[in-house]
Amino acid sequence: METSVRVERIDAYRWRVPRHGGMRTDGLIFADEGLMRDLEGDQAVQQVANVAHLPGIVGPAIAMPDIHWGYGFPIGGVAAFDLETGVVSPGGVGYDINCGVRLLATSLSISEARPRLGALVDALYRTIPSGVGASRSDVILQRRELEAVLREGARWAVEHGFGVPADLEAIEANGTLEGADPGAVSDRAKERGKSQLGTVGSGNHFVEVGYVAETFDAAAAARLGLEPGRLTVFIHSGSRGLGYQVCDDSLETMLRASAKYAIPLPDKQLCCAPLASPEARQYWGAMNAAANFAFANRQLMAHYARRALAQVFGPEAAERTHLVYDVCHNIAKIERHVVAGAPRRVCVHRKGATRAFPPGHPELASQFRDLGQPVLIPGDMGRYSYVLLGTEGAFRETFGSTCHGAGRRLSRHQAKKLARPRNILKELEAQGILVRAANRGTVDEEMPEAYKDVSRVVDVVHAAGIGRKVVQLKPVAVVKG
Amino acid sequence: MPYRFLSHTADAAVVLEAPDEAGLRAAGVAALRELLVGDSPVAVALERPIRASGNDTAERLINYLREVLYLYDAERFVPAEAGAEGVRGEPFQADRHRATREVKAVTYHGAEVRRGADGGLRATVVFDL
Repeated sequence: METSVRVERIDAYRWRVPRHGGMRTDGLIFADEGLMRDLEGDQAVQQVANVAHLPGIVGPAIAMPDIHWGYGFPIGGVAAFDLETGVVSPGGVGYDINCGVRLLATSLSISEARPRLGALVDALYRTIPSGVGASRSDVILQRRELEAVLREGARWAVEHGFGVPADLEAIEANGTLEGADPGAVSDRAKERGKSQLGTVGSGNHFVEVGYVAETFDAAAAARLGLEPGRLTVFIHSGSRGLGYQVCDDSLETMLRASAKYAIPLPDKQLCCAPLASPEARQYWGAMNAAANFAFANRQLMAHYARRALAQVFGPEAAERTHLVYDVCHNIAKIERHVVAGAPRRVCVHRKGATRAFPPGHPELASQFRDLGQPVLIPGDMGRYSYVLLGTEGAFRETFGSTCHGAGRRLSRHQAKKLARPRNILKELEAQGILVRAANRGTVDEEMPEAYKDVSRVVDVVHAAGIGRKVVQLKPVAVVKG
Repeated sequence: MPYRFLSHTADAAVVLEAPDEAGLRAAGVAALRELLVGDSPVAVALERPIRASGNDTAERLINYLREVLYLYDAERFVPAEAGAEGVRGEPFQADRHRATREVKAVTYHGAEVRRGADGGLRATVVFDL
């Protein structure tokens, strides 16, 4: 499945995929030489070129430094479309609609917490179900409640006692995307979602306890409550089975729509419909509903993380734990950007990419207006993660987007083979990182060496000006699926 | 083995080879079963009906496998093998079946069925993990 697409170097951090064949625009990849070398032998660059074939694309088809081979769009892909001539593509959002991350900052320091980390990770493991098909027996939604979740997202969760109103100000779009239509979500999707709210799931999803290990911008870090040594909780999950089913349901419709509207597809997974079409409206309503489910999911997990903190460190520790931010990294949104010097509303697809709005952007809550939007970049469970801020550079060059993570370097099969003679759990414990997992196989597949060093990705983003480093977090305890 | 996994960094890609469309479905179920429950034994106790439509062989194959995955994920029906009218297998039992990983979806990425020089069919399917 290898392909070769011509790539031209623009500067130290930018590469152009020149328009050719059916491409309607260039591709633009942010990467250094080493990261570009990592792409040899797979289809990620071809996938950037494929996205450039879609009708109504505005600006280049963009890829972030954590680009890797996905399906349809590459992971790390960003593309914007004109509202009249452009399309929406479920393959540009992904199956895990509004997969995203959220970061909580506690009032505890790592030195205070370290003696009781074992109890904390056990409490997190007990209170937040993880693993394949994880479900909750204490939160099973009746149809009317589920539809309220799909309409209201994190706001529903807070109104039902899962969190505090201040949480909502620290969530992208305040935790509720407009345009959600629960009626557009199939019964199959609702069935899959009804007992999965408040569960982390499996694969690369996690709940991770860490601390602020390095500071790059002390003033911004203090504003976010991320002083050196501060204990944090990082949550990575999305819309679970409900979101997968929404995407899956939409693909048959979109394949038919692509034929109906005579849209040539270089890859069937890029099937799409004109934004003004009834097929697009149906997907849009269902996608936003699934995104709201994901916001509510992470809101419940944060609530149960606070409960675990209360069990181990007392109620005050939970009360003084605040939400730093929550971002989507698989979504399509209508946003206002400046294109060729003129303001224009476009539909921005981010698949494995994070919104990174600059200081002064009107969509940011007042507490972030002068700082820029916090951006959360998880790494692997053995090294570190980062908190960044959005920049003018991102707004100018990438439709206000930046990277979303480290990106895998080994396949799951390769990772398992490497892990087989070793005990990854023990190795991590020897490094001071406690891991609780529903399945040891997942730990092996998710071993630190399976991922690129996220600092390589973040350094490119920082140097290219599409994100600004604030702090680095190091993990001390992880719950995996 | 009628299927073999390709190296794929983020997801799982598998090549299926069979003399005909029914054989591709059988190979696809075998690959999916390995992804879902590894080498856990799965009894052929029941057959669940599947009607998979599509414009071509590739779409019919993907749509068939999507249904098999849905039955596993939503109804905990573990696939053992393809059946004439659907998929055969048994309900998930925690003491017999090891759920090895989450498969989010069967994708249409690169979905194509080709006929080889020997007259057999060859398909590549990418599963989202």
